[in-house]
Amino acid sequence: MKRITVLLGFLVLLGLQVVFAQTKQITGTVTSAEDGMGIPGVSVVVKGTTIGATTDIDGKYTLANVPQNAEFIVFSFIGMRTIEMPANQAIINVVMESDSKELEEVVVVAYGVVKREAKTGSVSTVKGESIAEAPVSSVDKMLTGKMAGVQITAASGQPGADSQIRIRGTSSINAGSDPLWVVDGIPVMAGDQSYFTNTGNAIAAINPSDIESITVLKDAAAASVYGSRAANGVILVTTKSGSAGKAKFQARSKFGVSQLANDNGYGVMSGKQLLDYQRQAYTNAGLDPDVYRPYSLLDGGTIDWMDHVTRMGNLQEFEINAAAGTDKGKFYTSLSTHKNEGVYYGVDYEKITARMNADFKLTKNLETGSRVNLAYTESNDVAMQSLYYVNPAFAGMRILPWTKPYNADGTHNINIPENSNTNPRFSADNDEQFEKQYRLQASQYLSWKPIEGLEFKTNNAAEGTFGEGRRYWAPDYGGTTGTLQTSNIQYLQLTTSNTVAYSNTIAEKHSVRALAGQEAMRRTYHSYYMYSPNVDVLIPFPNTSTAADDDGDYSYNARTLLSFFGILDYNYNSKYFLQASARYDGSSLFGEDKRWGLFWSVGGSWNIHNEAFMENISYLNVLKLRLSYGLNGNDNIAPYQAYGVYASTAYNGSTGMLPDSPSNSSLSWEINKTWNLGLDFGFFKGKLNGSIDIYNRDTEDMLLSKQVPQTSGFSTNFMNIGSLRNNGVEFQLDGEIFSTKELVWTAGFNVAYNKTEILDLGDVKEMTYADDARLRHTVGKGMYTFWLKDYYGVNPSNGEALWRMADGTLTNSYNKAAYIYAGSPEPKFIGGFNTSVSWKGLSLGAFFEFKQGNKVLIIENRYFNADGNQMSTNQAITALDYWQKPGDTGVNPKPVAGNSSNSYQFASTRWLEDGSYLRIKDITLSYNLPQSITQKIKLGGVKVYASALNLYTFHDVNFWDPERGVTGVGAGIYPMTKTFIGGIELSF
Amino acid sequence: MKRTTILLLFISLLFTGCEGFLEEAPKLDQSTEITLSTYNGLNNAMAGAYAPLASTTWYGAFYVLEAEMRAGNATLPTNSDFTSGRMLVPHSLSYSPTTTSGLWGFAYFMISAANNVIENLPGKDVGDVTAQDLNNLKAEALFLRALAHFDMVRLYAPSYAKNPSAPGIPIILKTDVSAQEMPARNTVAQVYDQIIADLLEAESIIDPDYARAGVTDSKAVVTLPAIQALLSRAYLYSQKWQLAADYATKVINNADFAMWNAGQLPGVWTKDVAGNGGEVIFEVYGIRSNEYDGFWEGPSHMTNPLGYADCAAHPDLTALYDAGDVRGNLFRTDADNVSGSLWTTKYAGKGLGDALSTPDVNNVIVLRLSEMYLNRAEAIVNGAVVTGASALGDINQIVTNRGLAPYASVGADVVFNERRKELAFEGHIWFDYARTNRPSLRSDKPLEAGSYLWALPIPQREIDVNKNLVQNDGY
Repeated sequence: MKRITVLLGFLVLLGLQVVFAQTKQITGTVTSAEDGMGIPGVSVVVKGTTIGATTDIDGKYTLANVPQNAEFIVFSFIGMRTIEMPANQAIINVVMESDSKELEEVVVVAYGVVKREAKTGSVSTVKGESIAEAPVSSVDKMLTGKMAGVQITAASGQPGADSQIRIRGTSSINAGSDPLWVVDGIPVMAGDQSYFTNTGNAIAAINPSDIESITVLKDAAAASVYGSRAANGVILVTTKSGSAGKAKFQARSKFGVSQLANDNGYGVMSGKQLLDYQRQAYTNAGLDPDVYRPYSLLDGGTIDWMDHVTRMGNLQEFEINAAAGTDKGKFYTSLSTHKNEGVYYGVDYEKITARMNADFKLTKNLETGSRVNLAYTESNDVAMQSLYYVNPAFAGMRILPWTKPYNADGTHNINIPENSNTNPRFSADNDEQFEKQYRLQASQYLSWKPIEGLEFKTNNAAEGTFGEGRRYWAPDYGGTTGTLQTSNIQYLQLTTSNTVAYSNTIAEKHSVRALAGQEAMRRTYHSYYMYSPNVDVLIPFPNTSTAADDDGDYSYNARTLLSFFGILDYNYNSKYFLQASARYDGSSLFGEDKRWGLFWSVGGSWNIHNEAFMENISYLNVLKLRLSYGLNGNDNIAPYQAYGVYASTAYNGSTGMLPDSPSNSSLSWEINKTWNLGLDFGFFKGKLNGSIDIYNRDTEDMLLSKQVPQTSGFSTNFMNIGSLRNNGVEFQLDGEIFSTKELVWTAGFNVAYNKTEILDLGDVKEMTYADDARLRHTVGKGMYTFWLKDYYGVNPSNGEALWRMADGTLTNSYNKAAYIYAGSPEPKFIGGFNTSVSWKGLSLGAFFEFKQGNKVLIIENRYFNADGNQMSTNQAITALDYWQKPGDTGVNPKPVAGNSSNSYQFASTRWLEDGSYLRIKDITLSYNLPQSITQKIKLGGVKVYASALNLYTFHDVNFWDPERGVTGVGAGIYPMTKTFIGGIELSF
Repeated sequence: MKRTTILLLFISLLFTGCEGFLEEAPKLDQSTEITLSTYNGLNNAMAGAYAPLASTTWYGAFYVLEAEMRAGNATLPTNSDFTSGRMLVPHSLSYSPTTTSGLWGFAYFMISAANNVIENLPGKDVGDVTAQDLNNLKAEALFLRALAHFDMVRLYAPSYAKNPSAPGIPIILKTDVSAQEMPARNTVAQVYDQIIADLLEAESIIDPDYARAGVTDSKAVVTLPAIQALLSRAYLYSQKWQLAADYATKVINNADFAMWNAGQLPGVWTKDVAGNGGEVIFEVYGIRSNEYDGFWEGPSHMTNPLGYADCAAHPDLTALYDAGDVRGNLFRTDADNVSGSLWTTKYAGKGLGDALSTPDVNNVIVLRLSEMYLNRAEAIVNGAVVTGASALGDINQIVTNRGLAPYASVGADVVFNERRKELAFEGHIWFDYARTNRPSLRSDKPLEAGSYLWALPIPQREIDVNKNLVQNDGY
């Protein structure tokens, strides 16, 4: 159609030219700055007239009857920056640039976008292009250290594991502290959704390179419109959509290898080292080492079991995407595969994602579109994250170097008494543990704009996770039956979000935007679990287990949320901004007396740079003061806690019912009251930008298990009784240090300080952390405080372990040692800095991440620095640094075989270390081939790059890697890995 | 355009003001409301209400064994290889508010389960359900409520004989749904009055032939004789001698029960169920599938020389048995007698465990016929009159069934001593000392009658959360 129009227009113009000699002809080509290709459909108009033309498929145009007095020709196209050229030549070629630079001025916020200039709350953003190259399996991993106040902690380095995200500290003891994820306007499910493995990260369904931008809403003003789910902040993910113009294709591939991160020389002893160490331990115990540990042990050869259970991990990723559009519709679609073989045998992770984002204008003011994402993930693992014998991270450290890995016939040796006769390589080969998941995220919207400024929109979404899990314990060689567990899970979430928004500028100076909306959400979960002992080793499925032995279980829960909300934005002359939002949420999770809650916020900002008195200060182009206060909720609890329930019980051969929990009709959300004071500044025409934020967040009505009189029949009830406070400062600075046409050097830095203080725990002043008694929640202290026996060190005169007693004197008895508050796993400072230099097509970027002031408890070392207590297992190489002669200090106690001094006991500050670190998170070198070459090979662009992840970590922890989750404990951890990748991207 | 408007309107209306959308009740756990809304639900709730009896803090071991340990029927084996440390506190009588018995929590848990049933019974006699069906459930609930109050008041309060107006325990007769109430302690006398009132009501409403259906052990459920036997004991504890004797007589005259003879006695302790025709009136059934099965801490394992074995027989006790007394044979040594200690065989187990890989299980007898004779004998010694019965006759009824010659005459001390020998390791002796205001004669740790130690401290957590509770003197 368009071409016919063009043709007709051309013919008409051609005819006219004959008639009027007063006109001239201008021709030319319009190309894209991005790929140098012609752009079809560009409108080319003589300024001030209706005379015009449209470019053809190759971007060529001809303006036939241009009046002689025409001054300018205007080139315009959706998504491109409009260009005016003087009409003084017969051939005018134009290069059009994407107007994305203008788009960068806007920020995705709750239910819309605002100009960066208009924001009143505290938000941080990351652009898609800065995250596409990272060799990680999910988007959460890419945010580490990128944004001030957003702490991403890995509890595991295993491919596919989720991250613990804390925005401005931990806000709750019993409700969740994870933020809400919103993808393309729809709140989605997050966290680990697997049954047997810990690799069911729901967010991994999103292909990182599909992401256009990520915004993190940190304070109440930014987040409260998400009401009862906003307390821990909100992460808004916007995926890519197509733009009008010629179809663009991109193909990417990545290859990489990985290995255990180990920058402190941690590891196990060699056979010789261990034997010498153990002989010394026997000597110290007064026993003859030649009897217990003769040198002949080494005669059969030794191996490094850590080497034996690990391998070079590898990673492959392929992706193809396409985007195109016309003035009516646009689409973006992508297909990707990701495969990651872990550094331990038996661990791998595979992912396939497919996305289709489409938008179409039905009529002049009616638009519809959809976002559909499909993902398949499959992860195999062994029992990681535990001190379990099949966990290679633990067993590889334990097994003695002189224990043979293989039998004479080449099969795995499973006669390993020091590891409960378990060989992790045998388990990796023969046992199975997997989770296979299918994920769907689909939404569709319909938008109606009846008049300028008014939009009705309905956005409806369905999200599902369907998972299949299996855990199979194979018999030893020759065995005929194994033990099987299988699972089948399903999460479903349906959401409808309906809004009406109106924006207008009155009398040129009063800008108003008002939005009202309604949402409803229902989420269900169910799982089937089956235990099938004694399955046939040849048919290892439930079918071969006898019916009498099978055991099954079913689990189900549902939750609903119904919401009404509104946002009101006003600004006067781009100087004074006011934003207010409110949300009224009803939730099925809470007691009938407290089912509905109102959440709100107000924020204001002052663009000082737009004031008349600032006009003369030319070096300062942005100066903006922000202040906000608001109240939001945390509904992140398990369902049904408001209900008193009876549960079944067994006695005397019959099944009866017993009260299980009391009802609590006033159970309600935790409330967070947050104020935020911020200052944004920009110097030298935007070459140096930064912001400072100070905040205080008080959590009230914190849900705690309150001790109740047992005369009620119960011991505890879950009630809104506690409070705590997070406050802190965040600072972010980004700048262009040097910039010429060819060489650009930029750098950025962010740091955040946060302090958590528990204010009130109801009846008590202290609670034990539910998952680990070595951590306490204590009034007046941080969220977590280590509660450990006070280890002093080695006695310089005799090499014994010493502890401090309550009165400060020293003792060699662990039992007499005093417990002390030994610090917190929460970092004081977190942040990151990055720098990048680009010259022509070459670019080198480095990104560093740090945490400071947190403690970690390396409980594994209890087994591997055991001072002779663990004589049947290998020891860490650091155990060699032990007391040898009077005067030695700062070393491990003297090893004594069968050590009974308790120096190896669990709850000791001996295993507590400073977890601060500085990590070279990412270094990437990339090269964009110049257009002169790419055009020859008929490609829009070629980029090759090499990247290193976790290249080096500066830390003092006596372990592979310092990271071990928000609580600093955990055991049998799959440590961080170093990954090196190379990749190529082709555009055409 | 109009279609869009309609669509938008429709979607908004769909969710506006629909409160039902926010109702999501648990499906896999049964809400309290639903459980208590039908006869079947109440019947299940009643069946479940028995379960806490089997917990280790109660008849599942320690309530019984600690009483024996405190009073000197039991002691720690002298060879420390045979101890696990679980009996140190009762052995040294070093109870503190934080190491005291946890019975409080379990007993009130059962009371709340019973109260839920009692409160919700009215009006459930619909369809095939008769008023008598409801009364039977109510009688069971009243019995359990009475037993729970009784076991607590004799543990945590001074005996009635010492001071009936001393603080007892809070009487709880209705469920505190909000778990906010802070009840104060009623006096010992008030608690006994309530126990007796509950039992009398239960006696008056229960079908004389009623025993809960669907259970394995028909002696582990509430029956009319069980109610009457507990009434006899409650009257005895509150020194209502005539009534104690009268209720003992009701059970003694019940043809369903008969004294075990000397030949039977050694074999009765290892049965899976007591069955009919023996002495057992009410017992707590032990089986691995019980929700509150104590496993390693069950009575069988605690008195097994191969098990934890903390609870050996005190030489004071074993010395009491005369030659020929079959009760003196209810003890065993360890396999090679390396410890020199003896252990009771009253919890020798049902043969369902080997004490090494798996512990065995046991029933624990709460009420049996010989106690009724002992109750009546004691009541008669204290002035009760029962036609055709005498203290001498009652005591001889027991001893002649234990392989001994009859007494020529009996007094209070003989009755007490026979009670000790007969009911040893069944959880009586400590409370018998206390309620008769006797000193404990335990040779290694005698205790005078006036000591504060006779009442165990109230758990500290309760004192912490209920400001109306007063701790016992001395703690």
